[in-house]
Amino acid sequence: MSIPLVPQLLRSHLIELAENDQRLDGRGQWDGREVQLEVGILANAEGSAKVRMGDTIVYAGVKFQTMTPYSDRPNQGGLMCSAELRPVAGRQHEPGPPSPESIELGRVVDRGIRESGCIDTEALCIIPGEKAWQVILDLYAISDDGNLFDAFALAGIAALRNSVIPLAKFELGEDIPLNVSKTPIMCSYHRVGGRYVYDASGREELGGDERIHITLGADAHVHSLQKGLKGTFTAGEFADLMKQARTKGDELRDLVHSLEGGN
Amino acid sequence: MKGWSVARLDNMSEKGNAAGPHDSQQAPLLVAPGEDLGDSEGYEVGHGVIVMDGRLRATKQGQMKKDGKSVSILPSRTKYFPRPGDLVIGLVEGCTNNIWFVDIGAPFNAILPMSLGPAKMEFGGTRSVIDIGEAILCRVQEVEETHSSVVTMKGMGLRKIRSGTVEDIDPHLLGRLIGRQGKALRQLKEDTECRVVAAENGRIWIDGDFEGMLEVRTRLRKMTAEAKAATPGGVA
Amino acid sequence: MGYGDVQMIDENGIRVDGRKAGDVRPISIELGVVPVADGSCRMTWGTNEVIVAVYGPMEAHPRKIQRQDRAVLDVRYNMAPFSTSDRIRPGFNRRSREISKVTSDALESVVLLELYPRSKIRVEIEIICAEAGTRCVGLTAASVALADAGIPMTDLVVSVASGKINGVVVCDLNKSEDNYGEADLPMGILPNSGELSFLQMDGDLSQEEFQEAWDYNMEAAMVIGGYCAEALKNGGYNL
Repeated sequence: MSIPLVPQLLRSHLIELAENDQRLDGRGQWDGREVQLEVGILANAEGSAKVRMGDTIVYAGVKFQTMTPYSDRPNQGGLMCSAELRPVAGRQHEPGPPSPESIELGRVVDRGIRESGCIDTEALCIIPGEKAWQVILDLYAISDDGNLFDAFALAGIAALRNSVIPLAKFELGEDIPLNVSKTPIMCSYHRVGGRYVYDASGREELGGDERIHITLGADAHVHSLQKGLKGTFTAGEFADLMKQARTKGDELRDLVHSLEGGN
Repeated sequence: MKGWSVARLDNMSEKGNAAGPHDSQQAPLLVAPGEDLGDSEGYEVGHGVIVMDGRLRATKQGQMKKDGKSVSILPSRTKYFPRPGDLVIGLVEGCTNNIWFVDIGAPFNAILPMSLGPAKMEFGGTRSVIDIGEAILCRVQEVEETHSSVVTMKGMGLRKIRSGTVEDIDPHLLGRLIGRQGKALRQLKEDTECRVVAAENGRIWIDGDFEGMLEVRTRLRKMTAEAKAATPGGVA
Repeated sequence: MGYGDVQMIDENGIRVDGRKAGDVRPISIELGVVPVADGSCRMTWGTNEVIVAVYGPMEAHPRKIQRQDRAVLDVRYNMAPFSTSDRIRPGFNRRSREISKVTSDALESVVLLELYPRSKIRVEIEIICAEAGTRCVGLTAASVALADAGIPMTDLVVSVASGKINGVVVCDLNKSEDNYGEADLPMGILPNSGELSFLQMDGDLSQEEFQEAWDYNMEAAMVIGGYCAEALKNGGYNL
């Protein structure tokens, strides 16, 4: 990914907007863009989701493979998250090895889901010491207009919650749904024009500063946190973000659950 | 594959006519690349049309405009290619001791040499005069055949842009934005009480209070969506 | 390469998916699906789903790929890890590299490259879901995406693969037909001139069978070329 030039005019304009409680596209400080979520849209994946937030569009696909359990964890299977930010997603995304930004993106989203414990790796065991399921979540960006973190996290958890273990294909029985016990939701906040906003668009990210990612569960339990890029924040600012993340997180969690059959 | 004549977008009509229904000509016909547009005898080729084996052929998708003498296509997407004399808004991407490299939204960056800069300055002092990341209003001085160009800031009204914001639209929508004899643009400025400068490269400098600027941005977005709906070929 | 005993076409000439020998799988075309790109196209073709985004013309970097007299197309064909029944590990893939190259050659044959010396035009072909013929869908969708971006072209390129199953020549192979059939002939055809810019073949075809498969591809390309033109004019086809 090439580092795009930040126009100084954009930064000063964003500061002026922030001072007057305005954003570039007229949204409120804590308003997100319209979210569209679809599940089960990839025929060759065992679980899948597609998320659109404004002009940011991502796919998530879940594939199952069998693995030999690690010797120190003979009764456990595994979860692997892989995020790809391919050149299709934007002019600034150039071909080549993964950039530090895309690696951070993948790992932050991975931790948000993994650390919640929503996937019971012992339940993935097939034959102790010999065979277990490996759940692989692939996150794929198609169009990048900002906040890939939340789009990936939402698509990822939605895809997992709609996954089916392909026992039949591996001649181990009949297909059963993957048990995902929680719905961790990530909310990302960027400092734009001097204050934090939710769901920054591409231009806001370009002219903005540091960011904070908060992943919460339904009970407001904190599952993962990350602060990225250069800048500092106060305890007070963070408390505001935590409060916002609870409300928005509940909203998005309801959206995910609404697409599950009677869950 | 040589010998085509390919013309610029506005060879075919004035800016004011650039989009929307056309009263003087036949009903607009939508075409896709590769489609045959008739015998080439007697016709001049305009934008988006070539002559192959004595026949006119579309090279772009959009509305065909054909009158007695020329054929051209009004495409639904346009990129900016610089021409001498164009007023453009540029973003300084880099500099050496005596040259600035300016992104003008074209395939190639333009060069602003020190001698054509905004002020008298010493060799090596480029960044203190115009810094990287700053926006400038400048004019295209000359263009070489590979579309890279030289810009100048010597001229009336050319300057650094110090306030407001810059938005982008496809260059072929400038006609719609400006209107016949500038009427639509004047109306926009009055309604929003903002300064609005539309540059040839599709960049629009907006300056005023933020409500006015938001209104201008909203109207630009609406105009782009309406143009897309009126000349289908792109999903909004 | 063929598994002769897998029955894929019955005595009435009906294939496993219900098609007759000359039928093409259902197709839909959508434009502008990557809002941040200069042009884009999404095609579904049977169960295939392909998204192509176009960026450019832009200055050709790195320097070594730049040509002084014309633009170059920088084409990347890539299959998403979840696009096939067995997951594909992300990373360098020889097959994808080869397909990127032949797709680029096919498209460079129609784009008016001389208009943009020293530039490049990026064509990003992403296979989201694969079901045989992805290189054909990718090439076709790429030409539509280039047109959506306003890149001038002498024609579109429509690509179809016909072949032979159980000794019968059929049009537009599906997955099992591609796996168990006896021949595969993908072609890239310019629908307004009938010329070809892409051709590959694998398997065993007599001269007569070859002509049959060729004709199937040509007919299908004319029809699909019409769908593409309709999509470009109306914003989509069969959505």
